Amino acid sequence: MLTSPERRHELALRIERFHGVTLEQVLGEIEYLRDADDTVIAGGSLAFGLGNGLSDLDVIISGPATVGSSSIPLEHFIGSLRVDAWKLSQSLIEGSFGRAEKALAAEGELLGDFGDIDQEDELKLLHRIAFGVVVDGCGLELEEEGRDCRRVASDLVMREYGERMRASALVAQLAQRASRPIAAVVNARLAVENALNAAVAQRGFPFSGDKWLGERLDAEVPELASLYEPFHRLPADPARDGAGFVKAALHICAGILNLDLELDALATAVRWHITEDLRLAKVGADQLLLAPRSGAIWELDESEAEVWRRLTTAEGDEQDEGWGLAACDPEGAALCVHLYERGLLGLSWIEGVPIGALDVERKAGV
Amino acid sequence: MKAIEADARRYAWCRSRALWMMGESAPTFLEDAHGAQQADQGALLRFAARMIGDRCAVALNVVLNHDRPIPTPSMRCSWALERLQGHELWQPCWELIRGVDDVPAEEIVERCERLIAEVCAVVGEMPNPLVPEGHFPAIALARDWIKLLDVVGEEAPMPYGRTLPT
Repeated sequence: MLTSPERRHELALRIERFHGVTLEQVLGEIEYLRDADDTVIAGGSLAFGLGNGLSDLDVIISGPATVGSSSIPLEHFIGSLRVDAWKLSQSLIEGSFGRAEKALAAEGELLGDFGDIDQEDELKLLHRIAFGVVVDGCGLELEEEGRDCRRVASDLVMREYGERMRASALVAQLAQRASRPIAAVVNARLAVENALNAAVAQRGFPFSGDKWLGERLDAEVPELASLYEPFHRLPADPARDGAGFVKAALHICAGILNLDLELDALATAVRWHITEDLRLAKVGADQLLLAPRSGAIWELDESEAEVWRRLTTAEGDEQDEGWGLAACDPEGAALCVHLYERGLLGLSWIEGVPIGALDVERKAGV
Repeated sequence: MKAIEADARRYAWCRSRALWMMGESAPTFLEDAHGAQQADQGALLRFAARMIGDRCAVALNVVLNHDRPIPTPSMRCSWALERLQGHELWQPCWELIRGVDDVPAEEIVERCERLIAEVCAVVGEMPNPLVPEGHFPAIALARDWIKLLDVVGEEAPMPYGRTLPT
């Protein structure tokens, strides 16, 4: 394992080779953002050995006396190198680690709390702090004694991606049953990728976003890369070949993370909830589903309207909390998938996926 | 004077989302694709191409069909592709989303560039915020859209989703 100065030296060589820019130039460019005793930490793909000649350099500026935080990274350009500098107070970073520890100890679902598929900023931040390269300064001394920042950051990604995998596996099966073959295969591939991201985090590699998964696997985890290979490409005809693709994907996922992904098992742990202000309106012979906030309207046929009424008035369900997936009949489940695909329903899980249920090595006492 | 065939709220909401996807996400992934091609990073190239297909399909759908809301990320490409059936750009979007790994890297990059150009011709152009000459013009254009969205009572797509909790 490289020492901190060796990692800094490697990073310096990389950006000099790609851009002809030195770390000292980078430090000069962002000097105006630094308070006394601030440390500069480089994270992201270039610091983690994954980046290429067009990757930006992500740096975090923080220290015990840092005043204020920027809401988004501030972009700087030095020749062809783009530097994204994020000025953050140490208390905000400590708060993020504290929230991560609490979330990991809690039973509720984590899914998306630290960044969703589109924006993974907080997950990345924790990994940049835990695994980053100190470019200048003494490093951050985060307050909590006994906290293993790398363990917290890795566990958070494992749990987030374990939960994403569970959700993708569920949606793939529901979509398959509801004759939505493209949604089914897209989610099956996502389930495999989510499982692999969790497995990579479990092996202690820093997280740098979904886009680097394949490169990480190819370079450093070939045994997992071979599992991924059949899922790079979706079937040409999802309606014809989707069922087999979904089945194979779920088999791989269950093997990687040791979870029961059968639809019946998952269905007992999840509920549908309405994400829009949906209501059904009968106008003459027409049955109209309205989402006034979005100014959107859909026409339901009589049988769909009946299914909707059944779902939303089921006995024993508090409608504010949605309705259980297991309680849906096939017509109800199919309508829910169609509404989910239109952004009108969401899925919420009764429980998260505890780390202990995911971490095969720790389960086995390794 | 040219009439816009949609109500103002819907037009502003849909067009701003599509522009942001094509103006911010698409250049980011295209830059990833170029970087991957140069560095011979096939997995990154596949991923970037997929994301470009996804963003192009969604941007096209919200502009052509004024569809809203946009569903959760894992469902949005199937949602968009269904609504784009019959459109000439359905196939190139689907091919990138499906995953391209049996053609040379330069051809994948060309397909990405071509699709982005064709979608931008429908959706509109936005300065590239990833390069010095486009950064501030892109922010200025985003501000104009935020003002319009504010006038019609709609929430802006950015930058609220990108900030950390404080």
